[in-house]
Amino acid sequence: MAVTENEALAAINADYEQRYGFHDAENYLYKAPKGLNREIVEKISEFKSEPQWMREFRLKALDHFLARPQPTWGSPLLAEVDYDDIHYFVRASEKPGRSWDDVPEDVKRTFDRLGIPEAERKFLAGVGAQYESEVVYHQVREDLEKQGVIFLDMDSGLREHEDIVREHFATVIPPNDNKLAALNSAVWSGGSFVYVPEGVHVEMPLQAYFRINTENMGQFERTLIIAEPGSYVHYVEGCTAPTYSSNSLHSAVVELIAKPGARIRYTTVQNWSTNVFNLVTKRAVAHEDATVEWVDCNLGSRLTMKYPSVYLMGERAHGEILSIAFAGKGQHQDAGGKIIHVAPNTTSNIFAKSISKDGGRGSYRGLLEIAKGAHGARSKVVCDALLLDEHSRSDTYPTIRISEDDVNVGHEATVSKVGEDQLFYLMSHGIPEDEASKLIVNGFIEPITKELPMEYAVEMNRLIELQMEGSIG
Amino acid sequence: MAEIIDVCPVAELPPGERRLVEWEDLEIGVFNCGGNLYAIEDRCSHDDGPLAEGEFDPEHCTVECPRHGSLFDLRTGKPKTLPAYVPVDTFAVIIEDETIKLEVE
Repeated sequence: MAVTENEALAAINADYEQRYGFHDAENYLYKAPKGLNREIVEKISEFKSEPQWMREFRLKALDHFLARPQPTWGSPLLAEVDYDDIHYFVRASEKPGRSWDDVPEDVKRTFDRLGIPEAERKFLAGVGAQYESEVVYHQVREDLEKQGVIFLDMDSGLREHEDIVREHFATVIPPNDNKLAALNSAVWSGGSFVYVPEGVHVEMPLQAYFRINTENMGQFERTLIIAEPGSYVHYVEGCTAPTYSSNSLHSAVVELIAKPGARIRYTTVQNWSTNVFNLVTKRAVAHEDATVEWVDCNLGSRLTMKYPSVYLMGERAHGEILSIAFAGKGQHQDAGGKIIHVAPNTTSNIFAKSISKDGGRGSYRGLLEIAKGAHGARSKVVCDALLLDEHSRSDTYPTIRISEDDVNVGHEATVSKVGEDQLFYLMSHGIPEDEASKLIVNGFIEPITKELPMEYAVEMNRLIELQMEGSIG
Repeated sequence: MAEIIDVCPVAELPPGERRLVEWEDLEIGVFNCGGNLYAIEDRCSHDDGPLAEGEFDPEHCTVECPRHGSLFDLRTGKPKTLPAYVPVDTFAVIIEDETIKLEVE
């Protein structure tokens, strides 16, 4: 028997609440009052005992943030973000633990419930767990450490490897890049610092898990991944938060640098609760013969605006962006990607899929740019949208700029509805309607889920199935 | 065809200072980095906005685009950070008769 739409929605919330939507009591060492000013920024820097240059970097970024107007493009929901109603820094533990026993008991219980320590034992090369503003647990496998792989929270990265950080930090995304990057640069805390030495292949993924607990919290992690020539690393991140009636803000900055012949794969499964504004800047540089892949799955949040980008700076560099967005009731997923071909014979693919249901809005926003001199560049952009009902919305904003003649660029876009004929075909083979609908959706996103690590693919399929519960009313 | 234009007397552009000059439809920023003079086109290669009025760091010989933060090396015109990736035009600086001059074309 088909479940009604309302029952299905109730089921989704009930499950999120139970699996991710819970929150802990607040036993914090420090919680900044709401709002942002010079004093808060100085306090964060002081807490972290940072070098003077970083303190100055933060204060300059704050000026940029305050001077810039809120963007007016993207989504009307952006007007709901109230920067004065946010806690910009919350400290839950003294310093990141190397053992789960060092993590405060209630925080550890949260990560237990989310299954992180278990996953670490089974299939990860390293784990970072961030709770509110800072990383509470960090560990990397000993054999990798011996090979010179650095996987630290960004605060420790700056403390222990200041020279490497200073050389690369904010070179891919300067603080004045946009208003949200300026905000992150002013108040950044936590995130990961990954450094892979020349020729080292990290075979199992490194994982970071980001958790917001407090109401009206702002989480501003900062991640920098440097892959030296010929190295390989796969970094996976996941995020969840409790469901509150008021808004939280997540605004990360992620910079990837793939040196000649290196390969970086960065996978995100974003499942924030629907009171979180997720406004993130992610950008990568790929030098000669390097490859950068973004696998970006957006399921949660009230509004996500995120366009991972790759600058193909060296000859034969390759960029790949796989993006899935699932927009349910009250959600707007404004996702996509940008590839900029700067050097000759560079190649890229952007493959974006969005699914909208229950009045949700999925947008693809992308840029493909081929600069003068990037002869022999090849690129393919495919964006497909699937609408599950008549109240939902899909938009596509593709921009293509080509300044070179000898290139090969393809662009395809489709918008489809789960068709009566597809459903009828499957149902005529004895498959119930809701099963048939799930099969169609799974088939639609399969090209991307197959790129995820197996455990994530399973989780992704489960989440999609959950969102799909009873969507045929 | 190259042409030589006057900027100002040397004494008027001490170390750490900059000056904007116009020639036909070009705007050029001239910078004094610790006694060495450099000139770049006043147009960011990222989105064509004005560049020379950005934060000038004479010690590292850079200027930061005020619009999106790309940092340019004044000696070469090359961007040291994204989002710009194309160098901006540079101009040869000549000192003659205690006057700073530029070679433009």
